[in-house]
Amino acid sequence: MTQAIKTAKEGEIWAVGGGKGGTGKTFLSSCLGTLLARKGRPTVLVDMDIGGANLHSFFGIERPHHSLTSFFEMGSQLSDLLVRTEIDHLSLITGDIHSIASDTIKFSQKLKLFRQIMKLNAQFVIIDLGAGSHLNTLDTFLIADKMIVVLAPEVIAIENMYHFIKNSLFRKVKQTLKEYGFKEIVQHIWDRRQNYGIRNLKELIDYLKDRFSYIGTILDNELANFRIYLILNQVRSKQDVLLGASIKSVLQKYLGVEILYVGAVEYNDAVWRSVRERKPFLLNYLSTGCAKDIETLGENILKEREIMMPGGSM
Amino acid sequence: MSRAHLAKYFHVLEIPTEATLRDVQNAYLRLKRLYSDHSIVLAPLEEEFTDKKRLKVLEEIEEAYHKLLAGIHAEPPKAAALFPEESPGVPVEKNLENMAYSGVALRKVRERLGIDLNEIAKELKLRLDLLRAVEDERFEALPEEAYLKGHLKNYARYLGLNVDRVLEDYLGRYVAWKAKKPGLKR
Repeated sequence: MTQAIKTAKEGEIWAVGGGKGGTGKTFLSSCLGTLLARKGRPTVLVDMDIGGANLHSFFGIERPHHSLTSFFEMGSQLSDLLVRTEIDHLSLITGDIHSIASDTIKFSQKLKLFRQIMKLNAQFVIIDLGAGSHLNTLDTFLIADKMIVVLAPEVIAIENMYHFIKNSLFRKVKQTLKEYGFKEIVQHIWDRRQNYGIRNLKELIDYLKDRFSYIGTILDNELANFRIYLILNQVRSKQDVLLGASIKSVLQKYLGVEILYVGAVEYNDAVWRSVRERKPFLLNYLSTGCAKDIETLGENILKEREIMMPGGSM
Repeated sequence: MSRAHLAKYFHVLEIPTEATLRDVQNAYLRLKRLYSDHSIVLAPLEEEFTDKKRLKVLEEIEEAYHKLLAGIHAEPPKAAALFPEESPGVPVEKNLENMAYSGVALRKVRERLGIDLNEIAKELKLRLDLLRAVEDERFEALPEEAYLKGHLKNYARYLGLNVDRVLEDYLGRYVAWKAKKPGLKR
């Protein structure tokens, strides 16, 4: 499914997710959009936080005229729903779709949405995902060229993030095997996992690889591109920054997925002040440490490189 | 000079193949700490990332560390020289197997790891002259045994050494000196 869509693509898609709410996904999405646009790169922000859409308010837009609601309910074209922001080269598709429950989005609508996202006339499309690991959220995450996860340094956020990444990976494995014609095999084995002595996703993947060498080859090839860009937000100490390195390590050693730890963003009261002022953060608070962290991580995502750790290399 | 045959070990320690001995040391200490206790990073995966798996990861980290110490240490100083495929290089600790951890031995290990004394002082929040006194075995300048023990422990851990052995060897020398010391006995 995704393969066919990806061939007709215009710009580079970044999706920002991570499981728990309140970690700063929307805030950071707004900042990444601002950064790219200010580099003169035409950028579209898409608010896919279904039920909790508020990306527009980070740009001081009160009640947008258009939103994804028109796409789902009136069959509007996505490109007709673009709302301009006060920043050159940056527009927005708002997600004020309180009338739509995520569950009611049909499969065909989802495909159409993905196809139109890919066709948006922009160099970068940044998708702000809502909290949670709903299938629609995971599928949207998986169409991205760069899958970005935002995390705050606290236990529940870490737990939810593991859950989110595991589910994304599981979904990817299923999609991949489906594309190769092994649609039922994963579900079949998973449903009978106790008979196979399988307790979790990792063991399922290992089992499949071990048992069916051709599946192993397919998964190795396809999952080689499964790479997560990790951002740690709201850090208050050097210890918090190092936490990101630990999480990277655990995810790599446990799930075998590649993690690029691209940045840590300092906690700063200027953020909520800016949100209250309903002004793009990077326009007014460019000199804060927080803004500098965001600029650095934006560059890191662009160039696919990692954060410089305190005290030298990671 | 190629480090290709060490790539696997660099990967285990999650550092690039051009890493210095110092990077290897840091990565080793960091990962060892991470997988040795139940931190908030591991806790949510406790059921899935079993103790068995965790211990295996620790073993791999240990192996990678020793292979890298040996491999990097055996590298000739000049890049032009050939790097032997199966280098018989010896890890820092192995090399010192039969040597007690005296002040001189500790300094040798530290220097070989390319760690500056200033850095340890800063990281461990210890006085530089105290660390110098430890390495010079100027016992009279050292604090009471209980304090010394604490400092030594941190110092040894920082260098990635076997803490118990360092304490045993070094404190053994310290106690011997104290017994011989003329004057006040407390």
